[in-house]
Amino acid sequence: MKALLNILMAISGIILAGSLPILIAGWLLGEWRWQAYFESIRTTLEGLWPIGEITFFNYRAGQEIALFPNVSAYIVYSLEILFMALIAAVAVSLVLTVVTMLLAEKVRERVKMVLYFLESIPDLLIIMLAQLLVIVFFKQTGILISKIAVAGDDRIYWLPALCLAILPTIQLYRLSMLTFQEEERQMYVELARALGFSKVYIVLVHMFRNAIISVFFQSKKTMWFMLSNLFVLELMFNLPGIMLFLSGNMHPMGFLVAIFSFFLPMFLLYSFGEWFFISRRHKKAVA
Amino acid sequence: MWKQPYFVIGFSILAFFLVGSFVYEWIWGNVPRQIYYVMENGRAVEGAPLSPSWQYPLGTDQYGYDLLGKLMLGAKYTILAALAVAALRMLIAVPAGYILGIYLDKHRKWLSSFADSMHYIPLTLFAAYVLTPVLWMPEEGFSTTLWERIAIQVVMMAILTVPIVSILIANEAALLKDKEYILAAKTLGAGRLRIIRKHLYPQMREKIAVLYGQQVMETFIILAHLGLLNLFLGGTKVSYDPLFGDPPMSISYEWAGLFGSTFRYLQGAPWLPLMPVLFIGLAIFSVSLMMEGYLRSKKPKIKKIANPHKTIRSSNGTVNSYGRKWCG
Repeated sequence: MKALLNILMAISGIILAGSLPILIAGWLLGEWRWQAYFESIRTTLEGLWPIGEITFFNYRAGQEIALFPNVSAYIVYSLEILFMALIAAVAVSLVLTVVTMLLAEKVRERVKMVLYFLESIPDLLIIMLAQLLVIVFFKQTGILISKIAVAGDDRIYWLPALCLAILPTIQLYRLSMLTFQEEERQMYVELARALGFSKVYIVLVHMFRNAIISVFFQSKKTMWFMLSNLFVLELMFNLPGIMLFLSGNMHPMGFLVAIFSFFLPMFLLYSFGEWFFISRRHKKAVA
Repeated sequence: MWKQPYFVIGFSILAFFLVGSFVYEWIWGNVPRQIYYVMENGRAVEGAPLSPSWQYPLGTDQYGYDLLGKLMLGAKYTILAALAVAALRMLIAVPAGYILGIYLDKHRKWLSSFADSMHYIPLTLFAAYVLTPVLWMPEEGFSTTLWERIAIQVVMMAILTVPIVSILIANEAALLKDKEYILAAKTLGAGRLRIIRKHLYPQMREKIAVLYGQQVMETFIILAHLGLLNLFLGGTKVSYDPLFGDPPMSISYEWAGLFGSTFRYLQGAPWLPLMPVLFIGLAIFSVSLMMEGYLRSKKPKIKKIANPHKTIRSSNGTVNSYGRKWCG
């Protein structure tokens, strides 16, 4: 029920935001265009049905294309890259955290400090350096490790996903370091240590289970940040994804379709995660 | 605070850019040096864009303007805009957060789920979407002046994430509100306003300062992203001439514009897009140095026992808001 309310709130928020440029264009001329604003919302909503007949003008192809299956191919490609990067970031940062947790306190503080300052690298810089590296490597050795831009119908995967994953990895790494360290101060860890369990065992079995939950709940901000990153990534690599598609379709309908294509999978992921962790906790409490 | 090396270094970098920017304009005027080609023994050896050399440390752009000069001239716009956006955002969000946390606590839950939905809209995309009508020059020219556009852009960028920031503050305030010393103050007859002013605000001052720093950093990133979309601070001059259309240009020499308008030269003249982004990175880095120094100066004793970053994390509120959700 609560999830239903949340999703309704979110959807109405996105729809209201979709027609905002009309109001803003009015403000610039010093008038309130409420009527045009609601008119635009109405036409957008009417245009949504029947869903199979929605079409967009595509500048690449130079013609109108249908939402299904053409635009959904863009969406799938964007989501593939997003989730590849997400999985890589989560896996790498968790492994690194566990390894770092086994090190001495002083080293950990150093690592955290370095991570904190690494977070100030702009994502644009990472993408540009990656592209330049590929070019330099190609010029030196004649081996093209990956294409740096998409032309025509190709798809490139690992280089964009890698660029997208670097900053979230750093963020998640520091975040989970903090969470694990907080967990380390709990009583049960001391008890386990007193009972003679090894450090590796305590970190991997006891602390991991508890820390992972709060890392999950705090990762939302990282996801948010990743979405903006994905946007610039698609522009800079010229990836035929939903974000690039939107930049050619800056109108309420394009906005709505693009936002929903991210909103739905991510909302499902987080709702499922919340439900999963909470129900597990309850089960434990009962047993 | 002024004894903390981190803070002082960060502050000096930012101050160098800001003061340097004004001094540069004062001494050399607002047009950077220009050179078309380099002569050696009476022959032209290199034409614009020049690669970095001793005379032009960061090289020149495709029209022969000195890149370092452009960056210095533009520094003030970018840095002041980022500081202003974050300041305005905090000015709106802090009182709103307190009101929400203390007076409207009943509505906090559903309002926070509403603000939560913002986490699914990429910020860059949202900013670009609402700012396009303001910043992209229409065919008949702008109807607003440069400063009006800058003001509108700052206000809009500030408002975009007000909901999220004020919910963070509200959650934090609501958490503190149930502490015993506040209950004691209430019993003694303190009103809500006095509790905010005398208890909650002093408690949260450091967190608010750190939150401000984070907002400045985020604004730098968003400005750079907007630059990539050819939406520059203060508007984008677009040439509608079908034959000799100039590429979209930044009106001031602000950094995001310098990056966005030269991204196409990444392979031929990599210093053109790289340097502005590097400068933005440097500005972000100096802000994070200042935050770290500030926290260390406030918590000299805790530094050894716990870690100075702890405050940073809990200041973004997610620990408390989401941490509490599953604790019941």
